[in-house]
Amino acid sequence: MAKAIEIENFSYAYPDGTVALDKINLSLEHGRKLALIGPNGAGKSTLLLAMAGFVKGTGRVVVDGLEINRKNLKKIRARLCSCLENPDDQLFMPTLFDDIAFGPLNMGLTPEEVKARVGDALQTVGLTEMVDKAPHHLSAGQKRAAAIATVLSMAPKIITLDEPDGSLDPRNRNNLLKLLASLPQTLIIATCNMNFAAALADRAVLVDKGRIIADGDAKEIMSDSKLMTEHGLEVPGTIR
Amino acid sequence: MHMANELLSVPVAAGTLAIAAAGLGFICRKVRQVITADKLALMGILGAFVFAGQMVNFQLPAMPGTSGHMVGAVLLAIVLGPHLAAIVISSVVIVQCLIFQDGGLLALGCNIINMALVPAYAGYFLYRIVTAGSASSLRVHIGAMIACVVAVEAGAILVPVQAALAGVLVVPFSTFLITMIGVHFLVGLVEGLITVAVLGYLQQVRSDLVLHSLPGKVRLSKSAVLATLVVFTIIIGAGVSLLASGLPDGLEWSYAERPDEPDFEPAVSNDDSRIAAVDDFQSRYSVMPDYSVRASKLGQVAEQQAGSSPGWTSFAGVMGSVITMAAIWLTAWILRKRQSPTA
Amino acid sequence: MHHAHIDKFAYQDSPVHRLDSRVKFIVVLVFTAMVVSLPRTSVSILACYAVGPFALLVWAKIPLRFAFKQILLVSPFVLVLALSCPLYDRTPATVAFGPFSWRLTLGWMRCFTILGKFTVTMSALIALVSTTRFNDLLAGLQRLGLPKVLVIQLGFLYRYIFVLIDRAHHILQARQGRKLRSLGFKAELRIAAAMLGSLFVRSIDTAEHINIAMQARAFDGKWRTLSRLQIRAADYIFALAAALFMAGLYLLVKPVLQ
Repeated sequence: MAKAIEIENFSYAYPDGTVALDKINLSLEHGRKLALIGPNGAGKSTLLLAMAGFVKGTGRVVVDGLEINRKNLKKIRARLCSCLENPDDQLFMPTLFDDIAFGPLNMGLTPEEVKARVGDALQTVGLTEMVDKAPHHLSAGQKRAAAIATVLSMAPKIITLDEPDGSLDPRNRNNLLKLLASLPQTLIIATCNMNFAAALADRAVLVDKGRIIADGDAKEIMSDSKLMTEHGLEVPGTIR
Repeated sequence: MHMANELLSVPVAAGTLAIAAAGLGFICRKVRQVITADKLALMGILGAFVFAGQMVNFQLPAMPGTSGHMVGAVLLAIVLGPHLAAIVISSVVIVQCLIFQDGGLLALGCNIINMALVPAYAGYFLYRIVTAGSASSLRVHIGAMIACVVAVEAGAILVPVQAALAGVLVVPFSTFLITMIGVHFLVGLVEGLITVAVLGYLQQVRSDLVLHSLPGKVRLSKSAVLATLVVFTIIIGAGVSLLASGLPDGLEWSYAERPDEPDFEPAVSNDDSRIAAVDDFQSRYSVMPDYSVRASKLGQVAEQQAGSSPGWTSFAGVMGSVITMAAIWLTAWILRKRQSPTA
Repeated sequence: MHHAHIDKFAYQDSPVHRLDSRVKFIVVLVFTAMVVSLPRTSVSILACYAVGPFALLVWAKIPLRFAFKQILLVSPFVLVLALSCPLYDRTPATVAFGPFSWRLTLGWMRCFTILGKFTVTMSALIALVSTTRFNDLLAGLQRLGLPKVLVIQLGFLYRYIFVLIDRAHHILQARQGRKLRSLGFKAELRIAAAMLGSLFVRSIDTAEHINIAMQARAFDGKWRTLSRLQIRAADYIFALAAALFMAGLYLLVKPVLQ
C-alpha cells in the first residue's frame, strides 16, 4: 500500500529569495498522527501547504501514491484536505451548512449524498444543532470544530491541520483533542503547543529554519529537553 | 446621502431600479469572462472592508467635533478596475439597505446609481486620464484627489434631480442642488485626502496593488471612456439646465439636506400659491388623489355634513387600526403565555 | 454597532421566519410601493397600512422596541428633510380628525406624511430582514434573477463584514489606548490612513487564505450551492392574506378618496 505522504528532497524559497523549506525528506504511513513541531516561522505552515500542492518548489511530493502535479491535483484534493490556521479563513460561506457542503458539492456528489455528508460531519464534531447558523454566531471553540467539519465532509484519507489549538481555552482544547483522537484519518498537525502535540501524536517531526531537525517517536523527541530548548520549544508537562 | 423611499415617487423608483438593474446585469455579464476564481473572495472581502473602513474616523480641521471617514469607491476602482468596483460597491449599498436599513427598498435603484455605478466609473476614468498610465506618485495623488471630488459630486448631483422628478418635497430645486454641491464638495475633499493618504501607505507597503498589477483586470477602450463621459455630461448638463430654466412646473418640488447640520434653516422660503395649484393638479392625476388635502380645504363644507365628514372617516380608520394592532398584540401575548409552560 | 446584534433576530424561529424568502421579499416590495404612492398629505390612512408590518413583527416575536430603535437610527436624514417642508409650504389647511380640528399648513402635513411613510416602510423592511436569514434572502433573490456574480459577492460580503468589523474594532481600540491628545489634522489623517491601509492589506491577505481554503476543498471555479428553498402551503396562505390586505386597503381607500 502506498504511503500517506512521501516527500523527497523538497526545497522552496519565497519570491524574495528567502529559503522557506530546505531539502525536506519525510515519509508517513496511513493511520498515523504526526505532530509537526517547531518555533514560529520555522516553516511548518509552508510544509503543510506543500503537502497540499499550494507551494511549488523543487523535489517530489507524493500523496497517497499520487505525485503532485497539475493533472493529479483534483484527485489529491479529495484524498488530502487541509484545514487552515484561522477558522475565519476556513469558514467563508454564509451558513455552516453551505460551508460544509462546499467541498462535497465540488466533488460532484448528488444533493442527497451532500446532505448526508453534512449531517455526518456535523454529528462527528457535535454541531448538529448549528447547521443553519452563520459562522459569526459561533464561539471560538465551535468555529474550530466547524472548520474541521468542513474538511471531514470531504471524507479525505489525510487531514492536515495548522495550529488547531490556537486561541482555545483548556476546555475547548480538551474537546478538540478528544475529537481529533477519535478520527480514523491520518492526521498531520502543525503546532507549537507541546502539551497538545504530546497528547495526540505518536510521531513527531521537529522543524526549524526550514529544515527537519529531528524525526521519530513523539515521546522520545519531546522529552529531550536540550533539543527542545535549543529550538525555542519546551518539554511538555505531561512527559516531564 | 442615502436616498429614502419617501422622497421618490413610484415611477421614478421603478425607473431608477430598472436602470440600476440593467447596468448591473450588463456589468455582471461583461465581467463573467474576466473574473477568475481567486477574484471572488477578494471582491467580497473588499466590500466588507468598505464597512469596516467607515468605522475608522478622524478629526476634521476647523470643524471641532466633526469627524470624517472614508467611503472607498475610488480606492476600490483604482485597485480592482471600474467593473469589479461597481459590483463591489453595489453589493455594499444592497447590504446597507438589507441589513442596516440604510436607504429604502424602493430607493435602492437610486442609491446603486448614485453611490456605486457613477462614482466607480467616473472616479476610475478620471484617475486613468490624469495618471495616464504613469506611476509617478504626484500624478497618482492628483488623479485620486480629482477622481474623489468629481465622483462624489456626480453622485450627489443626481439626488436632487431624482427627487425633483418625483416631486415629493417642497424645497426649491436650486437651493437643494447648491446645498448638495456645497456639502459634497467637502465630503469629496475629505474622501480625496484620505484616499490619497491610503494610496501613499499602500505604495510604501504593497506597491503592486496600486500599479494595476492585480491579474485579470478589464481593459478599457477609448470609446467606452468617451461614451461614459458623454453620458455624464448629459446627466450633469440636464441637472444644470433644470436649474437654469426657472423651474416653471413640478420640478420646483425638491428638498434640502445638511447632514452635518440637522437644524439647518434654509434662508429662502417659498410660500407661492402656485405650489397649491400644482399640488391640486397632481392629485387629480395620481392613482390616489390627495384626499386629506381636499377634505381639509373643503373643511367648512364637510363640517356641516355630520357623521360622514372626512374627519370622522380618518378617525374611524386610525381607531380601527389601533384596535386591530392591540388585538394582534394581545393574541400573540396570550398564545405565547400558553406556549411557554409547555415548552 | 457590535455585530452580534446586527442580525440576531433573523436566527429566531417563528411562523414568519419559516416563510419563503421570495414571498416575503415580493410582499414587502409591493407594500412599500403602495405606501410610497399614497397621497402626499394623507396621514390617517398610514395607520391602516401600519397594521401589516406590525402584525408581522408581533407574530415573529421581534421586540417592537428593537424595530423603533432601528428606525430612529436610520432616520436623521429623512427627519431633516421632512422638517424642512413646513418652511417651504405654508399654505394653510384645516385638518379634521374625529371631533377635533386644527389649523395647520400643508408643509406640516407633508412632514407628517413623510415621517409616517418612513416609519411604515421601514417597519416593513425590518420585518423582512429580521425574520429572514441573509443567505435565504440571497438564495431567494438568486431565484428571482439576481446575477450569480452578485449573489456570490453578497455572500462573501455578508460573511466577512463581521470579521472585518471586529478587526477594525481592535485597531480602533489600539489607537484609543495610545492617543492621548489631538494631534492635528495632518497627523490624524496619516494615522487613519495607516490604519485603513493595514486593514486593506490584511483584507487582501485574508482573501488569499480563503482562496487556499476554497481550492483545498476542490473548488475549480464553478460555484455550486444547494438550494433548500421550497414554497409550502403556508407561503401561499401568507401571499393570499397579504394580497387581500393590500387590495382591501386599496379598494377601501379609493371610494373614500373620491
